[in-house]
Amino acid sequence: MVFSLKTRIWLTVFSIVIMFTFFTLYYFPAQERQLLLKNYNTELQNLANTVAFGVSIALIEQHFEGVETAMQFVKDDPRLQFVSIVELDTAWSEDRQHYNLEKKVFKTFPETEHPRPDIKSGSGIVIKRGAFASPIMSGDILLAFSTKDINESEAKIRHTSLIVSGIVLLIGILLGLLLARKVSVPVLALRDAARKISEGDLSQKVKITSADEIGQLGKAFNEMVDDLDVARKELHKNNQELSATNARLNNTLSELKSTQVQLIQSEKMASLGELTAGIAHEIQNPLNFVNNFSDVNTELIDEMRIEIEKGNYEEVIAIAGSIRENQDKITHHGKRADGIVKGMLHHSRTSSGQKETTDINALADEYLRLSYHGLRAKDKSFNATLKTEFDKTAGQIKIISQDIGRVFLNLFNNAFYAVMEKKRELENSEMGNLGKYEPTVFVSTKRSDNQVEIRIKDNGRGISEKVLDKIYQPFFTTKPTGQGTGLGLSLSYDIIKAHGGEIKVDTKEGEYAEFIIDLPA
Amino acid sequence: MLTAVFLLFFQLSKSQDNSLVAVGNHTGTPSEMKYSELKAILMGETQRWKNGKRILIALMKPNTPTGQTTSSRIYDMSGDELNKFWLALVFQGKAAAPTFFNSETELEHFVAQNPGAIGIIDEPVTNDIKVIPIDGKTPLNL
Repeated sequence: MVFSLKTRIWLTVFSIVIMFTFFTLYYFPAQERQLLLKNYNTELQNLANTVAFGVSIALIEQHFEGVETAMQFVKDDPRLQFVSIVELDTAWSEDRQHYNLEKKVFKTFPETEHPRPDIKSGSGIVIKRGAFASPIMSGDILLAFSTKDINESEAKIRHTSLIVSGIVLLIGILLGLLLARKVSVPVLALRDAARKISEGDLSQKVKITSADEIGQLGKAFNEMVDDLDVARKELHKNNQELSATNARLNNTLSELKSTQVQLIQSEKMASLGELTAGIAHEIQNPLNFVNNFSDVNTELIDEMRIEIEKGNYEEVIAIAGSIRENQDKITHHGKRADGIVKGMLHHSRTSSGQKETTDINALADEYLRLSYHGLRAKDKSFNATLKTEFDKTAGQIKIISQDIGRVFLNLFNNAFYAVMEKKRELENSEMGNLGKYEPTVFVSTKRSDNQVEIRIKDNGRGISEKVLDKIYQPFFTTKPTGQGTGLGLSLSYDIIKAHGGEIKVDTKEGEYAEFIIDLPA
Repeated sequence: MLTAVFLLFFQLSKSQDNSLVAVGNHTGTPSEMKYSELKAILMGETQRWKNGKRILIALMKPNTPTGQTTSSRIYDMSGDELNKFWLALVFQGKAAAPTFFNSETELEHFVAQNPGAIGIIDEPVTNDIKVIPIDGKTPLNL
């Protein structure tokens, strides 16, 4: 339950008034009554003792003035109920062998009262006893006084307390009103102003009516609103500037994306350029076959014409068979060249983004050869051993073949570049001796439960520790300017991730580098 | 020595005589009274003279010979009973307390000094007080 400030003030004042009323109406009168009773008891006991002393003197000395004076003092007291002489008498048994001490009232004033000798204090009456002893008589003076005066005093105190409580309540109400006016009203005004400010209205100001803490709070609030207004205007201005900057950044980003696309395309074309030599070599080979077999067929046709003119038809049939065989070979190599050209076109096309079932072993082998022959076309002196270990069970997996082919091409190019560089370093070293070094690029595939692992390893220079964590960053390259875009491994990483796969590297500087690709099968 | 023996004999003969005399102050007391009036005064029943003056009673203590005679002859009580009698009267405010004396001289002096005072003694020895005949007789004929 949440109480408003005004309610809390009222509750506080009310609680204080209630506590004060409790003390004035119950606690203080009760304390006063106890004090009065205590004094009353003492006073009565003294009176009883005085009368008892007077009686003793009267009985022993026959001096009755003491009794007379004491009794006069008692009788004149309006609180007196009665005063009695209780005599202690010896009551013997009939055989005079035993006796009991019995108390009996000897005389009482006023005579109309007949108290029992063992009477005790009760409601509205206080009994006090004063002992006396003489040879003539022993006993107690029994003094009974009314508590009427005390009750009246207590009632008077309560009455006064009630009036005081009423006055305190009135003061409390006035105090509550004053506090509500001085505290609650300004605080509520602050609350309302704060609400309007939270709704965006910064023109709100509170009226300052005092110099106390509430007034200081209002002043601080107004200053805060002013500061907030200034800050909001600055924020608005900064926001506008930020929006303009953001628009510029968006333009820049669009330009960057466009540039990135162009760069990717450039990288693609660069790799295509590197492929061109290899492709040319690949096409040249079947073209040689086509040309050679065409030349052979031309000669065989000339021979067959001569044999026809001779009428040697058996020989004609044999030559026709050879022509047929050559024609098959021409067709085979022609189709092979066609396939290479189609592959090149396939590579150069923008990725369709659609996965298709692809023979991963064939794709790896194709790009291994393309890469190797591409390098060989540039540098006839370069030779490398190509080792493959394809797992036949790797089979067909669903991939975007253009993209994965691009990954293979990047990794093979890097591998051949690494072994080529290492060979060159060894040749240029002081020893000038390759020793047993044999540039080797090894590619293997392996199928496990739900994925295919492709390993591409070279025994080139390896990758140094310093650059190992940067190799997947865009535009990072260790190749000389103009020989690498720095996008190869970055794009490869993105492509493998887009396939839900993983690419890792294992290397030892100066000895080898091995890239391990895991693709979901 | 002879005088002393005579005085002792005289005193003893007086006490054995057990005569009582009512004496009063020259002022405020009557010249004679009836026994019933005296008895009413001594019992606390009459507390003022006819002229309205307050009656002051002077008695010998019950442990004196005259006191014992007074208790037994006038009050028909023992000394203790007389004490209790007066205690009851004084306690209940029915009568003003009498004044008890150890010697008759003191008693006579008290009576002589207080107008309206009346006392019972064996035999007056001073003229400062007057003897009040009771039923025309002195001493009291009890």
